[in-house]
Amino acid sequence: MNLRPLRLVFSNLVLPLILLLSGCAISSNNAQPGAAETEDFNDPLEDTNRAIFDFNQKVDRNVLVPVAEAYRTVLPELVRDSLRDFLRNLRAPLIFANNALQGDFELAGQTFARFTLNSTLGVGGLIDVAGRWGQLPYHEQDLGVTFGVWGIPEGPYLVVPVLGPSDPRDLVGQFGEGYGDPFNLLVTGNPYTLYWIPFVRGGVSGIDQRSRYIETLADIERTSLDYYATIRSLYRQRRAALVRGQRENLPPPASFSRNDNPTMAVGHRPQTAMASERPFASGITW
Amino acid sequence: MNRRSILTATLVLIAGALAPAILAAAADPAAVINNLGNRALEVLGKNATPAQRVARFHELFREDFDVPGIARFVLGRYWKTATPEQQDEFTKLFEDYIALVYSSQLSAYSGETLKVTGSRADPEGAIVASEILRPSGAPPVKVEWHLTDQHGAYKIRDVAVDGISMAVTQRSEFASVIQRNGGQVQGLIAMLREKTGTASSR
Repeated sequence: MNLRPLRLVFSNLVLPLILLLSGCAISSNNAQPGAAETEDFNDPLEDTNRAIFDFNQKVDRNVLVPVAEAYRTVLPELVRDSLRDFLRNLRAPLIFANNALQGDFELAGQTFARFTLNSTLGVGGLIDVAGRWGQLPYHEQDLGVTFGVWGIPEGPYLVVPVLGPSDPRDLVGQFGEGYGDPFNLLVTGNPYTLYWIPFVRGGVSGIDQRSRYIETLADIERTSLDYYATIRSLYRQRRAALVRGQRENLPPPASFSRNDNPTMAVGHRPQTAMASERPFASGITW
Repeated sequence: MNRRSILTATLVLIAGALAPAILAAAADPAAVINNLGNRALEVLGKNATPAQRVARFHELFREDFDVPGIARFVLGRYWKTATPEQQDEFTKLFEDYIALVYSSQLSAYSGETLKVTGSRADPEGAIVASEILRPSGAPPVKVEWHLTDQHGAYKIRDVAVDGISMAVTQRSEFASVIQRNGGQVQGLIAMLREKTGTASSR
């Protein structure tokens, strides 16, 4: 009938778990302030994480990759790209909300324009008209990044069954988006009540994304000495770069300080990178 | 304009008049990367066998990268705990390992071009921004090159792809390997030996 069972699972199981995990990290950090003896991976649950990572690898090898390969073989590139653009367009309201929550109204305007163009001229999002001809490229954005822009630290590294690398901030963000997504709310609400749609959407989206990294990830796994540690570092740096890039793009007088930088994942060399989904020119004067 | 940039400008002018590729590469960080991009395309030519790719990558790596500096950085605080013999062996193995990893990862590239989009000074030397343009029309990959100024010659000390630093990634992985080997650098060296030995023979 409604999402009540799911909500119950979330509030009774997942939320306490997240709080517990964040609590673990805080107390273990306090226990050894500035411990220089070991490289700080901020991964207090490493043993558990590695076990889940191994499990995920099995799922990946035996289910996700074969399905992703079949997907890539059966559907021509044009169809797959259309499907991806369609799924991205469904995310537009969420991206718009995140742009606005971050205070980036210029980007929010672009997202709105993209959504309008692609939903109409682009036949419901199947053709990325705005990106291809309108100089309005798609940009990645999610609630985890928004939390980061607000200055909420990422917390300890987590590996979630099937979903993969995460942290409390991104996990809460993912759940928040799952519940607040306007499209999902629309199709699961009255009068449609089509509860399977969000699952199919999530599944297809996951398979599509996995199909685009089959060789890259296989190569990294084959050549790395510690695949788990490599993925951990890549994930955290990528998330930090998204947050950092977004902060650099924001106008200076916002409700938060741009100078504090609590979200540097590894924190070795902040100047190392400044990637964003937007051109270099927008953030830096060369 | 300080003396240094006047000197640089002069050098670039001379370079333009005399031997563009060689002199410009020595004086201008953007030219170093441009030059590297062009040569890398030859290295990664589709005709090259995997063994040739590895060998040529070694050459590029030695010429354009600050290999000793990077080796020291990626070993982090374990550099100091390592014996001089271990440091030497690690540096050699690291070079082999990097050649193996990246010649393999870059073999997926064909038809890509590197476009330098800007450069700016940095306390350690310079940072050059570039884009790898893909023939498929997919969005370009943003690559930042961090160069160190070594007596007027620019050497690459880090490469950041879409905000992900290769040096930081490597350091994090190596630190994890060492920690899981009871804090012994020897454990990492053994794994590197095995990886470069077995993988290069395929």
